Amino acid sequence: MVLTDQEVNYFVSTIKGASLYDFSEYSEKSLKRRLQKILLDNNMDLLALINKIKTNKIFLEQIVRDITVNTTELFRDPLIWQTLKYRILPKFSENKNINIWHAGCSTGQEVYSMMILLNELNLLDKAKIFASDLNTEALDAAKKGVYKYRFNIGYLDNFDKVIKENPFNYDEYNDVSYEKYFKIDKISDSIIMNDFLKKIPIFRQHDLVKGENLFFAKFDLILCRNVIIYFKYSLQNKVFKLFYDHLYTNGYLVLGMHETMLGEIASRFDKKGQAYRKK
Amino acid sequence: MYKAVVIGGSAGSFQVITRILNSLPKNYPLPVLLSLHRLKHVRSGFVEALSIKSAIEVTEPFDKDTIKPGKAYLAPSNYHMYIELNKKIALSTEEPVNHSRPSIDLTFETAAQAYRDKLVGIILSGANRDGAFGLKKVKQLGGLTIVQDPNECQVKTMTEASLKLTQVDHIFTTQQIINFLLSLK
Repeated sequence: MVLTDQEVNYFVSTIKGASLYDFSEYSEKSLKRRLQKILLDNNMDLLALINKIKTNKIFLEQIVRDITVNTTELFRDPLIWQTLKYRILPKFSENKNINIWHAGCSTGQEVYSMMILLNELNLLDKAKIFASDLNTEALDAAKKGVYKYRFNIGYLDNFDKVIKENPFNYDEYNDVSYEKYFKIDKISDSIIMNDFLKKIPIFRQHDLVKGENLFFAKFDLILCRNVIIYFKYSLQNKVFKLFYDHLYTNGYLVLGMHETMLGEIASRFDKKGQAYRKK
Repeated sequence: MYKAVVIGGSAGSFQVITRILNSLPKNYPLPVLLSLHRLKHVRSGFVEALSIKSAIEVTEPFDKDTIKPGKAYLAPSNYHMYIELNKKIALSTEEPVNHSRPSIDLTFETAAQAYRDKLVGIILSGANRDGAFGLKKVKQLGGLTIVQDPNECQVKTMTEASLKLTQVDHIFTTQQIINFLLSLK
């Protein structure tokens, strides 16, 4: 099933007309692929889908959830987590509070990664963790903090690289047990986060397209990883502006490994790797 | 007359890719788009290994990078690499397709839509069927299709799957692929 650009636009304007969601500034290729997948999964053609969206609010919400991409990992890209561990988070050690926003947190693996890292740095007590996503199902999974074990065996390698090893000193090895933070239950094939971690974050549904900050706070650190690749340039800039306005000076924005900030807004940050410091 | 080359490969393709890249001159007039499977834990170092003797620059692109001639773009580990109609790179972390991310099919299909009859698609050695569908798209949209000679491949599955699905234009050895690419200057 191959959709034309006009058909994708028709879908986008239907959603826009029937709800507060707006996908008109999402990048075309991914949006088209997601829509094709939805049609296939629901065994529907576009007209049938659009009719159902117009008449059934619950179905519309489901389609909106299915449009979003929800792939994330514990300590995804260890290099970035090592940067946070050695270069960025220690700068906040004298702060009274550390406000952190995971924008587009999906199923929450990086929210837990952050809390684990903060705890190892003895900074978790002063941290306020906010996490948001458009997809309420993903948020529910994030609150539960239960992940497939076998499918995600790479999580443990990442954990070791970030928490146990020191890339600058191979003699150093912190033998932190996994059980300190999560239980591995091989019978149910799951990794279950410990309760003390689950209680900390404030999770909220949030649409970055709206350009608002719903936490009424300013942040020392914002992580927004592999989210803006689904946005067009114009929407990316709107989101960067939102982050800029709600970061403290010298606060950091951390993007995905292959995301980059372009245009005028980039001059208001100092960039090192994937970390952008607000000037 | 051609505007881009897209190459897909998996098991047994690394040395072939290296030979091809090492043969292209610095001012090669086309961009080379590479969608290669790699072992999941080998996430870095691949681009460096490919760059050692290559005269053209090999990069793992950022999202929305503009595609330029004389450069090779390697799909980053754990991302799908799409080609947008405006000749920019689009990356995605959507689920693996046929257990693969990057998916060769997706890079080929979107490159075919962007470059149509101005595209050369090449499938190399590999141990699964990814790429066969993408190469078919290249053919359907008027592009030129090449498959590495299965007799020369370390693993034939990928090339044979492609040959089954598409009446390709050429079955070439590595040296013939290189000669052909150099003739496009």
